[in-house]
Amino acid sequence: MKNSVRFQRSFEGEIMNFSPLNIILLGVLGLFGVGLYGLLITRNLIKIVLVLQILVKAAVLALVLAGKAGGNLGLGQSLAATVIVADTVVAVIGLALAVQIRRRFGTLDLPAISTLKG
Amino acid sequence: MAEVLMILTIALPWLGALAVWAWGDDDAQQRGGWYASHRLAVAFSAAAGLAALALLPSVSSTTVLRIPIGGMFGELTFVPDGLGVFLTVVATVIGCLAVVFSVDYMRGERQQRRYYAFVLFFIGAMAGLALTGSLLFLFFFWEITALCSYVLISFYNDDPKAVAGGIKALIITQIGGAGLLAGALLAYAYTGSYDIGNFIEKAPTLPAAVLAAMAFGFLAAAAAKSAQFPFQTWLPDAMEAPTPISALIHAATMVNAGVYLLARFYPAFEHVPGWRTAVMVVGLITALLAAFMGLAANDLKRVLAYSTVSQLGYMVYAIGVGGVFASAFHLLSHAVFKALLFLAAGAVIHAVGTRDMRDMGGLGQRMPFVRNVFIVGALALAGLPILNGFWSKELILEAGLEGGPGWALVGMILGAGLTALYTARMTWLVFFGQPRSDLHAHDATSAMRVSLGALAVGALTTWLLVGPFSRMLAETLPFHEIEHLGLWEMTVEILAAPVTWLAMGVIGIGLAAWGLRERLAGVTNSLGWLSRAAQASFGFEWINRRVVQITQGAASLLRVTQTGELNWNVLGIVGGLVFILAILVWGVR
Repeated sequence: MKNSVRFQRSFEGEIMNFSPLNIILLGVLGLFGVGLYGLLITRNLIKIVLVLQILVKAAVLALVLAGKAGGNLGLGQSLAATVIVADTVVAVIGLALAVQIRRRFGTLDLPAISTLKG
Repeated sequence: MAEVLMILTIALPWLGALAVWAWGDDDAQQRGGWYASHRLAVAFSAAAGLAALALLPSVSSTTVLRIPIGGMFGELTFVPDGLGVFLTVVATVIGCLAVVFSVDYMRGERQQRRYYAFVLFFIGAMAGLALTGSLLFLFFFWEITALCSYVLISFYNDDPKAVAGGIKALIITQIGGAGLLAGALLAYAYTGSYDIGNFIEKAPTLPAAVLAAMAFGFLAAAAAKSAQFPFQTWLPDAMEAPTPISALIHAATMVNAGVYLLARFYPAFEHVPGWRTAVMVVGLITALLAAFMGLAANDLKRVLAYSTVSQLGYMVYAIGVGGVFASAFHLLSHAVFKALLFLAAGAVIHAVGTRDMRDMGGLGQRMPFVRNVFIVGALALAGLPILNGFWSKELILEAGLEGGPGWALVGMILGAGLTALYTARMTWLVFFGQPRSDLHAHDATSAMRVSLGALAVGALTTWLLVGPFSRMLAETLPFHEIEHLGLWEMTVEILAAPVTWLAMGVIGIGLAAWGLRERLAGVTNSLGWLSRAAQASFGFEWINRRVVQITQGAASLLRVTQTGELNWNVLGIVGGLVFILAILVWGVR
């Protein structure tokens, strides 16, 4: 309860001045926006893996930021480290799938390889 | 003691289901005739029946067993009150008789493990449904029975009709289940617990609109489960199940769960404006429509299914006019005589291999035992004196005279006449007259005779239990205001009531109409349109098909949204995110 109150204050009261926390928050939003935009417009499978990485980096940064703002930095950092590990696995498997798909379909263009249609 | 017996009543069938699944055999002929599935099923269901009977002396209205589940699931409570224990005894004892009957009926069938495991699973779930004192767990047990019903209707899963019938039953009862779940959640939101007794006590303090929503939600749930108007179409199609299943689930137990629900919550909803009238009208319409459809059907099991729907209509009507005891008493009578009729029909079908009554005829000479017990059941269904159906049906009509309008009572008495007419027609077509085709028939075998004999004795005698039965309900249901009714009191009351003699007259006319059917041919012909309408189930099948068509049409229109493209799906996710953010931003203020 106490933590969330403090977090809200830093969120609302100090959003105008360029404290380090707010700059990092802008970074989170920026990375997240880039990632979402990429997912919306990208059709190439390898680029999808790339934008997913950007999106997850926004989440990692947000975890550290939340840890700092909530006064429990260690928890935020350890969660961030966990996400980084899991995300690396996602990237590796995604790229391996991309290689296989390229071999099988001869292309990495998403509309050409999507078979999960209604 | 009571808590141990209650756990045993529910756990023994479920353990039996596991045991059959683990150690049973699928094809009895392959293992030298040891019949592991049969024996395990009979042993466990008989033990459960004994446990339920042993529960009878320790009925009380207190919660004797609480198992905290935690969180918003509340407590799993069990209350051995009269209504619950009575339904449990019906479920386990008739369940045991149906299992015994199955020993002969299912001999040589494949996949007996699946059959017996689900029958036992059903019996345990039905006992749980009747005994639990928690609305949420009532819903869970309710849905388990629906699932078992689905699996067993579709038991012959290489027959498309059986599969379709099962799915139809499942979907229609789910519609009602949603009403029950919504009611349970509303009760939790407004009283803070799922406890049924607590809810009934606090019901008058709830906002009127909430109570009305719950009352009609429960009515929808009960109508779907008990195959009442406008959900009655699933029960005739459920007749694709093996006949012992029809006797157990679709005549004696599961379809009574709706009536049980209405009876259980009657004190809570009694004063909701329009609720009692709605219940009464649902019962009346169902009783009459189903009686007409039973008169026009040619499939022996479908006639019995329509008569089940019609008799359930009588019970629902009784609750609507305030006769909770009459309803429960008819539930007992009906469970016994309808299980008897279904099992006797099963013996006939097993012997001759067809369900079409137009191919039968004259079977009485070759299967005298089955004929005799079937006639006992048929007379009880028609409501002739001495048999249990007479007393309970007259009690319902008397309750209708006291608490309901006259036009509804006239409808129900007319329904009694129609019941007598279709019962006479069915009995005659199967057992009397000249054989209409070359069928091989043999009389019932020993395991079948055990079940049929026990149920026939029950149909002759269960009305003698009215004294202890009414005392049990009166003492353990604090909110229902049921009065003790002794055997002698009931006899005098019924025999002195004018409505009894009126109903007997109408029933007599119904029976006479079958006897004089050739002289009445003109009347029959002029009613041809009614017969055709009844055979088309008065348009309800058409409505069902339209609903299915519209659903499928909407689904195929919505297919265009499923492009399978990642970008499109991400757009959906972003849209959802924006929506939630908007709710947070606007909702917080």
